Amino acid sequence: MIDFHGVTKRYGPVQALDGIDLRIEEAEFVALLGPSGCGKSTLLNLLAGFEAPSEGGIGFAGAAIGRPGPDRAVVFQDAALLPWLSVQDNVTFGPRMRGDAPAGYAARTAELLGLVGLQGFEDALPSQLSGGMRQRVGLARALVMQPRALLMDEPFGALDAQTRLAMQQLLLDVWQTLRTTVLFVTHDIDEAILLADRVCVMTARPGRILRDIPIDLPRPRSLALLTQPGFVAYKADIMQALHPGR
Amino acid sequence: MARDGTRLTGVPAEPRWRQPALAALRGASALALPLLILAAWQWAGGERGVLLGGALPTPLRVWEAWQAWAFGPVGMGLNAYSGTWLGAVLFSAGRVAQGFLLAVALAVPLGILIGWSRGAAALVDPTIQMLRPIPITAWLPFSIAIFGIRDFGAIFLIALGVFYPVVVNATQGAREVERNWIRAALMLGSGRMKILLHVVLPAALPAIFTGMRIGLGVGWTAVIVSEMVAVKSGLGYVLWDAYYVGRMDVVLADMATIGVLGLLTDRAILLLAGRLLRWRALAAHGGGR
Repeated sequence: MIDFHGVTKRYGPVQALDGIDLRIEEAEFVALLGPSGCGKSTLLNLLAGFEAPSEGGIGFAGAAIGRPGPDRAVVFQDAALLPWLSVQDNVTFGPRMRGDAPAGYAARTAELLGLVGLQGFEDALPSQLSGGMRQRVGLARALVMQPRALLMDEPFGALDAQTRLAMQQLLLDVWQTLRTTVLFVTHDIDEAILLADRVCVMTARPGRILRDIPIDLPRPRSLALLTQPGFVAYKADIMQALHPGR
Repeated sequence: MARDGTRLTGVPAEPRWRQPALAALRGASALALPLLILAAWQWAGGERGVLLGGALPTPLRVWEAWQAWAFGPVGMGLNAYSGTWLGAVLFSAGRVAQGFLLAVALAVPLGILIGWSRGAAALVDPTIQMLRPIPITAWLPFSIAIFGIRDFGAIFLIALGVFYPVVVNATQGAREVERNWIRAALMLGSGRMKILLHVVLPAALPAIFTGMRIGLGVGWTAVIVSEMVAVKSGLGYVLWDAYYVGRMDVVLADMATIGVLGLLTDRAILLLAGRLLRWRALAAHGGGR
């Protein structure tokens, strides 16, 4: 479904990514985990089509990726909602720009707003919402495009701990319903194990994939998983990989 | 309701009952100094109602002159200005409106384009920057030579004066659009034109309004200057004409009229901005974040 082969990215003299090979299957939830500056967000931006790799290529659904598009919808860390549009208008922005008839997306929009818990807030402006609610809008805005893959760039990184837990549970529930392919960038070990089928641990400068760890924990999952022995074992393994010898 | 600290609209600050009282107090303190100056001026004029050997009439004399100018019978009589005030106001305001709209219609798309595209910036921006230091007053002979003693000469000058601040601010506004807003629109499948219209333009609107407010001030300057020299009607024409025939009371009433019109048109733009930029006012109140 997604296939990075030999992807290298340089910014001038700085090598951000070095020979990344990564395959992601259809309906797989993959977390990219690493310290800040390891190039994990760069990897996501390359897949989104925001930037081009210096070397190597990226395949998506059997073809080389091109310009950014709704088949690879992105959820940004700062939500990146358009502040002058209401929740409703932010979520329907993509379909409206594409020229879809309202009848074609009205039902889907209402359903998604319900799924992310935003019914009743359709007319609110982003500045009237909390950070967690803005991310729900960002998620709904991406999902309304019915993307083949969802690219999430530290979407809960700026939220407080309680809100983050609530959003993780929400994402687990949404994913259980939709089963979209997800590439999820994070620096939070718990978050990566809780959400993903596979955790790819990255090293910093130049960014390389150090370990590729399948997370064999049953679904549907919930926050209760965070304290179970199987979860803790994965956490110990990943901490060892990130901080060897400690 | 969502679980994570939901809040809708935050405009708290002052308790409600105190707001009118505070506003009244602020209004009173704003008027105190002008009233004091007017009173001193009136007092200094004394019985004769003029100062400086007749050059400066007192506020009451100016007020009487304005009343005659505004409401007196038109036509024959000793007072040539009688009843012509509204006509002069409409001439000047109409020219400002035309020049302003013409300039905004050109400067907004051009500024957005310069801010958005490096190619457009390289092509057009240097020319604008080279012409911009020429004061609009220096364009006056050029304008008369090209357009003659006609309305469009004034409108051209006004448009030129409004154009620069609007184009410069629109450019700046378009340059400072958040990168992720554009990326979000891109990944949602929007094309270039749609992004310009639905992301860059609304994002640049606060800067464009700043430019329009500055531009409007320049526009009023331009209309007065060109009416004094090139066009035979409007507040600028009356201003110069009244000076020549020694009617300083009319000159001052004219100045006051221009000031009030400038203030009112600025308020009108602020009101429009308040409507269109409601999202920004809400964001500034720190809702959420």
